[in-house]
Amino acid sequence: MMSLPFFGLCVALGFAWAGRRAAALVLWAVSIGFLLLLFRLHATDPLNLML
Amino acid sequence: MTALLTPARARGLNALGVLAISGVLAFAFADQLLAGHLPCPLCILQRVGFAGVGVGLALNLRFGPRPGHYAIAMLSAIAGGAISARQMLLHVVPGTGTYGAPLLGLHFYTWGVLLSLLIVVGCAVLLLFERQFAGAGARVPLTGLGLTALLLFGLLTLGNGISTVLECGAGLCADNPSFYQLLGPQR
Repeated sequence: MMSLPFFGLCVALGFAWAGRRAAALVLWAVSIGFLLLLFRLHATDPLNLML
Repeated sequence: MTALLTPARARGLNALGVLAISGVLAFAFADQLLAGHLPCPLCILQRVGFAGVGVGLALNLRFGPRPGHYAIAMLSAIAGGAISARQMLLHVVPGTGTYGAPLLGLHFYTWGVLLSLLIVVGCAVLLLFERQFAGAGARVPLTGLGLTALLLFGLLTLGNGISTVLECGAGLCADNPSFYQLLGPQR
């Protein structure tokens, strides 16, 4: 599951190569959205900081 | 001053940017494969952030420079930088441990914060040069440096994806990975 953003960005790059800009933009957005979701799943410990 | 950066020069700079991102990914990959330091989950996610930056710059190579492509690079750098900052804050208090060996006195996640800031500032500065956007929209044939940068970056992104499958399998990665899940513990 953690590898999906890499593969999504690879496909985005492939679409860019093929000249399909809109598809590349969608794949980039989905990949970054999934990156943020994975970050949320992993950032579970509270930070021991006083801000 | 804004006339200094023609579309062709901007594409050259973006090709160097893609090469620089490839260098970051290659260095992290070399540390993983040669030194045997498996990346933690947050480390992997930071690499995704850098790969996202590369996609934004690659779009500039393929379709000519556009503000939206720089925005993609900046948003990716902000996402990756936030993850780096989170990991840095986990270890910022002395005695709370670290992850991985430092490079030139700083750990990889600290370098991640600095590089992400540099990317955001660099893209913002490039956005000041508006002449590069003249004639935006035309598809640009890839040759020489741009083609090399794009191929190298694509291979490294694909390699990171495959390596992450080997390390983490189909689920989430272990917090402190010590072996590739799909390869089993090394004897």
